[in-house]
Amino acid sequence: MIEFKNVSKRYGDKIAVNNVSFYINEGEFFVLIGPSGSGKTTTLKMINRLIPLSEGYIYFKDNPISDYEVYEMRRDMGYVLQQIALFPHMTIAENIAQVPQMEKWSDEKIKNRIDELLEMVGLDPEVYRDRKPTELSGGQQQRIGVLRALAADPPVILMDEPFSALDPITREKFQNDLIELQEKIKKTIIFVTHDISEAFKLADRLCLFNEGAVEQIGTPNEFIQTPKSDFVRTFIGGQSEPFDDIKAGDLVLNKAVISNEHQGVYISQDKSLHDVFTALTEQDEVIVEVEDGPKLLTRSDVFQHLARKSGEVK
Amino acid sequence: MNTFLETLSSRRGELLQTLIEHIQISFIALLIAVLIGVPLGILLTKTDRIAEIVINIAAVMQTIPSLALLGLMIPLFGIGEVPAIIALVIYALLPVLRNTYTGINEVDESLVEAAEGIGMKPVRRLLKVEIPIAMPIIMAGIRTAMVLIIGTATLAALIGAGGLGDLILLGINRNNTDLILIGAIPAALLAIIFDIGLRIIQNLSYKRAMITVGTIFVIILAVTLAPLLTNRDGEITIAGKLGSEPAIITNMYKILIEEETDYTVNVEDGLGQTSFLFNALRSDDIDGYLEFTGTVLGELVKEAPESNDVEVVYNQANTALDSEFDMTMLEPMMFNNTYTLAVKRDFAEENNLTTIEDLKSIEDEIRPGFTMEFNDRVEDGYPAIQEAYDLNFNDVITMEPQLRYQAIENGEINLMDAYATDAELRQYDMVILEDNKQVFPPYQGAPLFKQEFLDEHSEIIDPLNQLSGMITDEEMQDMNYRVTVDDEAPYDVAEEFLQENNLID
Repeated sequence: MIEFKNVSKRYGDKIAVNNVSFYINEGEFFVLIGPSGSGKTTTLKMINRLIPLSEGYIYFKDNPISDYEVYEMRRDMGYVLQQIALFPHMTIAENIAQVPQMEKWSDEKIKNRIDELLEMVGLDPEVYRDRKPTELSGGQQQRIGVLRALAADPPVILMDEPFSALDPITREKFQNDLIELQEKIKKTIIFVTHDISEAFKLADRLCLFNEGAVEQIGTPNEFIQTPKSDFVRTFIGGQSEPFDDIKAGDLVLNKAVISNEHQGVYISQDKSLHDVFTALTEQDEVIVEVEDGPKLLTRSDVFQHLARKSGEVK
Repeated sequence: MNTFLETLSSRRGELLQTLIEHIQISFIALLIAVLIGVPLGILLTKTDRIAEIVINIAAVMQTIPSLALLGLMIPLFGIGEVPAIIALVIYALLPVLRNTYTGINEVDESLVEAAEGIGMKPVRRLLKVEIPIAMPIIMAGIRTAMVLIIGTATLAALIGAGGLGDLILLGINRNNTDLILIGAIPAALLAIIFDIGLRIIQNLSYKRAMITVGTIFVIILAVTLAPLLTNRDGEITIAGKLGSEPAIITNMYKILIEEETDYTVNVEDGLGQTSFLFNALRSDDIDGYLEFTGTVLGELVKEAPESNDVEVVYNQANTALDSEFDMTMLEPMMFNNTYTLAVKRDFAEENNLTTIEDLKSIEDEIRPGFTMEFNDRVEDGYPAIQEAYDLNFNDVITMEPQLRYQAIENGEINLMDAYATDAELRQYDMVILEDNKQVFPPYQGAPLFKQEFLDEHSEIIDPLNQLSGMITDEEMQDMNYRVTVDDEAPYDVAEEFLQENNLID
C-alpha cells in the first residue's frame, strides 16, 4: 500500500530522516515509534506531503506520491492530529462533513454518514450533531477527530500521536476501541507514538527510529525475541524492567477459569514474564494453571496487563 | 435647549443633506479600505518580509495629521469628494490591513495543518477556516477604521467634500455651540449605527453579506454619481476660505456675475486654508477665489512688501502673480482686513496699552493665543512681530480662529491676533493695538484667477470690478456681525448690500 525507498529529509545541514526504506501492507496497523526528535512524525507527514521529502521515493498504491494531485491524495489518507485540531467555528457535523463535501457527496449522503459515524463511536447524533467542539470533553473531541479522518472512507489513516493529549484511563479505552474499530474497518493505519506499551498493544508491526534512521522493523514479538541492538533493547527494556517480578499467575488474575479438558500448552503460575513471552512466541495462547483451575492467557492479555502496569509506573 | 431645538429646526434641510453626504463619503471610503486592506492583509501573510514593510508604510501614512493629508490631496486630486475619500482610505487602511494580517497569522497552526492534512485546497482553507476564525479580529479592525473614517470625514468639509463637518466648522466659525452639536451628535450616532450594521453583516453568511454590501454600494454610488453626470458647461466655481467674510464676498461675486452674464456661479466657501485654495486654483478644481493682497506677498510669492502703501502692495502682488503663476488679481475692495493684535478693553486700560510696542513692558504676563497661520507667517506674522518689536512671549498657544474669542473671554489667553474686520472685536469689547512700526502689510480682498481663465471669460471682469474700492472696514464688520452673530444667510446679506449700493436692481 505504502512503500518508502531510501527516503531522506534534510533541513539545511541537519538530517531529520536518513535513508529510510520499508513497506506497509494493505490493512496493516503500522506503528512508527522512537524517542522525541527521532524523525517519526516527519516520516508520517512526508506520506501526505505536509512535509516534502529531500531524497528517495514514497509510493502510494504503486505510484510515487508526487504523481498524485496533492489535495486529492490527502483525501485518500485520513489524518488525525495530536492537537486534535477540530475547527472551532464549525459544529461537530460540519467538522466531519469537510472531506465528503470536498468529494462532492450529496447533502443527504453526508448527513447519513455523519449519523452513522457518530453512532459507531457511541455519540448520539441528535445530541452531538449541532454542538461546537468546545462543548465536548477532550476524549469526545478526539473521537470526532478520528471520525473526521474516517468520514469519506479513505483506505489509509495517518495518526500522529492521537492519544497523547488524553488521560491514561481514556487513552487505554481509546486503544481498545481502536483495536475493535480496526477489526471492523480494516484500514491501513500508520500510527506515530513514543509510548512502547501503546505500540506493542496496537501494532501489527512497528518501526523503531533512532536519530532519523530506522533501528528495527518487526512484530512486537520479534522486538522482544530478537532485539537488533542495544538501543532497541534499552528502548523496550526500559519499559519492561519494572515488570521483572510479574509471574504468569498475575497475568490471569481477572480471567475466568476454563474447562480442564481444554487443549493447549500448559505453564505453571510461577513462570516469569520472560517464560510467558517465550511460550507465546510459539503459540497464540497458553493455559496457566492456578489454584482455582486452568485459565486462558492470550498475547493481548499480556499487553493489556503491561500497558496498565506501565501506566501505573508512570 | 430651546435655542438648540430652534437651530435644529431651521437647519433641518442642511442637516439631512450633510448627513447623506457624510454617509456617502464614509461608506465608500470604508468599503474601499476594506476591499484593499483585507485582500492585501491576506496576501501579506504569505510574505513576512514584505508584510513588515507594507504595514510600516501604512503606519507612517496614519501618523500624517488628517488635516495635512487632506491638504496633500488637493494638488494631486483637487477638491471635493474624490480627494476626501482617497485621504480617508489612506487613513483607514492601517487598522484593516494590520488586523487582517494579524488575524490570519494567528490562526492556530494545528488548525491550518488539519485543514491541509484533510485535503483542503488553499482557497477553501482560507474561506472555510482561516477567514472565519480570524473574522472577529478582522472585524475589530474594520470597526476601528469605521470610527476613524466617520470622525475624520468631518474634516473633509475643509476641502469641499461636504458632510457633517460643514455644520461643525460653521458652528466653530460662528461660535455657535448649537450648530456644532447638530453636526457632532449625528456624527456620533452615525458611528454607532455603522457599528451595529457591521455587527449584523459579520453574522451573515458570505453570500448574504456580499449582497447586502453590494446593494448599499450601488445605491450610494447612484446617489453620488447622479450630480456628477449633469452638464457643467457655463458654470464657474468661485471659492472662499473659511469664515463669514469670504462667504459674503463670494456670494456678491455670484450675484454680480449671474446678473450681468449667462454664467452660473457655484460658490464653494469654507474651504480651509490658503494653501488648499491656491492648490485647487492651480489644478483647475476651482476657477477663482477671494484672496488678499498681503497674503499673496507673504505666502504665495513670498516677497517682502516694498512699502505698506495699499496700492504699491496690490501692484507688487499682481506683478509677482503674473510672472510667477500667470495669474491675475482683479481690483481690490476698500476694506483692509489686515492682521492686528487685540486685547480686551479693560486689560488695555489696566496696563496702559495702545500700541504693540507697549506690550514689551509686561512681556512676562502675556499669554497669547494665535492662529496656526499667524504664528507661522514669517513675513507678516508673529515672527515678524517678534523681530520688529523685540517681543518674546512664553507660551504661545495656537488654536482655531474662532476659539480664540472664547479663550480670551475665559481669561485663558490675554492677547490674540485678529483681522481688522472681525465682527467679534465689537462683540467681545476688544481693542486693537496700533501697529506703530508697520509690520503688517495691507490685506485688501480681490478675486484671484488664472490669466488664461480671464481671457476665456472676459465678460466677468467688469461685473467683478464694480466692487473695486467698495466696502469700508465698518461696513464689512457690520456684515460679518450679521452673519456670525445674527445668523443671517451670507447670500441675503450680500444681496442687500449690492441693492443698497445700486450695483444690482
